[in-house]
Amino acid sequence: MSGNCNCENPLVPSIVKVVDIVDETPDVKTFYVTTDNGIPFPVMPGQLAMVSLLPAGEGMFSVSWQAEDHLEFAIRRVGVLTDALHDINIGQEIGVRGPYGNGFPVAACEGKNMLFIAGGIGLAPLRSFIKYCFQHRDKYSNIQILYGARSQADLCFKRELFEEWPEQKDTEVYTTIDRAEEGWDGKVAFVPTYLEEINPSPDNTIAVVCGPPIMIKMVLQSLEKMGFNDEQVITTLEMRMKCGIGKCGRCNIGSEYICLDGPVFNLAQLRQLPPEW
Amino acid sequence: MKVLVKDKINTALNRLAENSQVYVPVHREGGSRFAPWPTVPGDELALDSLNTMFSPKEVVLPQTEKMYTFAARGQSVEIKETGEERKERVVFGVRACDSKAIAALDEVFLTRGYEDGFYKARREPLIIIGKACTQPGPNCFCSAMGVDPLEPDPVDVIIYDLGDAYGWEPRSERGQKLTQSLGDILADRDFQKPSAGEFQLQVDINGLPEKLAGMFEHPLWEELAEPCMNCGICTYLCPSCYCFDIQVKNRGTEGYRFRCWDSCMYPEYTMMAGGHNPRGSKHERFRNRFLHKLEFFQERYGTSLCTGCGRCIVACPQGINIVSIIKRLQEVELDVR
Ligand SMILES: Cc1cc2nc3c(=O)[nH]c(=O)nc-3n(C[C@H](O)[C@H](O)[C@H](O)COP(=O)(O)OP(=O)(O)OC[C@H]3O[C@@H](n4cnc5c(N)ncnc54)[C@H](O)[C@@H]3O)c2cc1C
Ligand code: SF4
Ligand code: SF4
Ligand code: FES
Repeated sequence: MSGNCNCENPLVPSIVKVVDIVDETPDVKTFYVTTDNGIPFPVMPGQLAMVSLLPAGEGMFSVSWQAEDHLEFAIRRVGVLTDALHDINIGQEIGVRGPYGNGFPVAACEGKNMLFIAGGIGLAPLRSFIKYCFQHRDKYSNIQILYGARSQADLCFKRELFEEWPEQKDTEVYTTIDRAEEGWDGKVAFVPTYLEEINPSPDNTIAVVCGPPIMIKMVLQSLEKMGFNDEQVITTLEMRMKCGIGKCGRCNIGSEYICLDGPVFNLAQLRQLPPEW
Repeated sequence: MKVLVKDKINTALNRLAENSQVYVPVHREGGSRFAPWPTVPGDELALDSLNTMFSPKEVVLPQTEKMYTFAARGQSVEIKETGEERKERVVFGVRACDSKAIAALDEVFLTRGYEDGFYKARREPLIIIGKACTQPGPNCFCSAMGVDPLEPDPVDVIIYDLGDAYGWEPRSERGQKLTQSLGDILADRDFQKPSAGEFQLQVDINGLPEKLAGMFEHPLWEELAEPCMNCGICTYLCPSCYCFDIQVKNRGTEGYRFRCWDSCMYPEYTMMAGGHNPRGSKHERFRNRFLHKLEFFQERYGTSLCTGCGRCIVACPQGINIVSIIKRLQEVELDVR
């Protein structure tokens, strides 16, 4: 590690090096980061980190995978910081601080069937949990993954999606795109529609949902129709964030701070909050 | 018992300033605020007037604060923290509403999982000399918010206005030490603590947080927010509003990151990439401010985030008055669930 991070102050990042960059889609890249001494901090599935390219800015991202020797961030290009990040090369040093947020309830889900439902970049946070389940395969029962994107090109993590995950024990992967296109003989449907076709059983199942707000909303309705109760449905929320540690104020919904008390909530918890999500 | 004769205030402040950074309330440029002692020419001590226009939160949470500098060379980056040097600090003449606000800031910045290092560096070495209020002003309603104007808390020393002198009462070990360091500048004299005057402004907050929990979607919010211009002055002047933004300033590849006060009254505060804004309308932002003050903070930290200082009432260009708002909210009859 080069810089001299003062880890006593949670708002000051430590420096990590980008050791690999993977082009996922035309506007998503995955950045692998680490330090000479290994990962900058331990992370659990679903937790977050503030990533900064120092002259450009700082933004909150889900840790998409916490490997033993590096962390992965899948980052969509949408503005000042993310544009600049998309232009860096392997070897670049960037800042990270974290881990933030509660993460997924990995222990409480042990012994359950897991149903992961994601749209677009929403697979980034779920992937940390999906890969965690595979790493601890015996602790989880059947695994179903339903993932949709606008087009083939917009599907993230293609190698895992088409090659690695379907090979796992008791695992089914369903992939869909919004509109038919050449070279795609797979499913064409919106995620909520496909979900109702697959009609997964709620028995002993936990559904984990992440995607654009409209997808989340419709998927939650579908799950309810299929008999999932509020405790069986988990989602992760997004609000604008600056500090990540419950101080700067902006990410609140009612008296909860999404950066600290979230971003993961089950539906029963969400229904306790004012309807600002 | 000790007193500080008013003629000797400057001597006392000078003595304190030998070893500490001292802040005093001053009149400046048509307003008033807490400023370092010795003051600049033109400043006048503002001990006898009531609340300063800017609250003393600046002493622990400056309007802008550098956090760290960075320098990028090639692909490498170096970061250097630029936090305050730790030095004893004394703030003189803090009133009960404002010290209660510091108590709220302490909860935010020093508890719940993370200690904010920048805040801590300013707060820990801070000695608070509180000033008991004996004559509440026309916009003061601290007593309604559970604050005793004669008992600022947290505080290391309390001073009482006795006319020609301030009654001087240490309230903590640090306050004792500070008192000793003033030695012969303080005089021995018995005094009777004054009592608090009548409050012109009163309001009943009994049961309010619980009631507000059921009023998030009440149509009254739109009506109440109607005159608000989302200018944010209320939040900047409020002693307990603490929201901040983090921004970067750079020339080429070198620069620094700083934080600065922000306001939940501004649409950018919650605006996300792609343009989605969970509090996109005026009344949603207005509602968040009042619910944060009166309900959310209570739920999370067990105390109100309004301390009744009255600054927002004085400053609002649209005449929005938090006391009238509380009264309107209290008047609403909700269906018993
Ligand atoms: C809990 C959480 C998890 C996230 N996970 C991912 C992820 O895994 N992959 C990914 O690509 N994106 C993720 N995001 C969104 C990501 O933070 C924003 O897209 C990014 O900050 C935009 O920065 P920008 O400077 O490029 O965009 P600009 O639009 O230029 O942003 C300007 C400013 O707004 C802030 N901002 C804008 N949108 C958001 C937002 N949605 N949330 C917080 N701050 C925002 C930025 O920090 C910046 O200061 C996540 C956001 C949150 C809150
Ligand atoms: S809300 Fe208004 S009255 Fe209450 S503490 Fe803040 S400025 Fe003072
Ligand atoms: S000072 Fe008045 S007008 Fe300005 S944001 Fe506050 S309530 Fe609205
Ligand atoms: S991001 Fe600052 S409070 Fe959540």
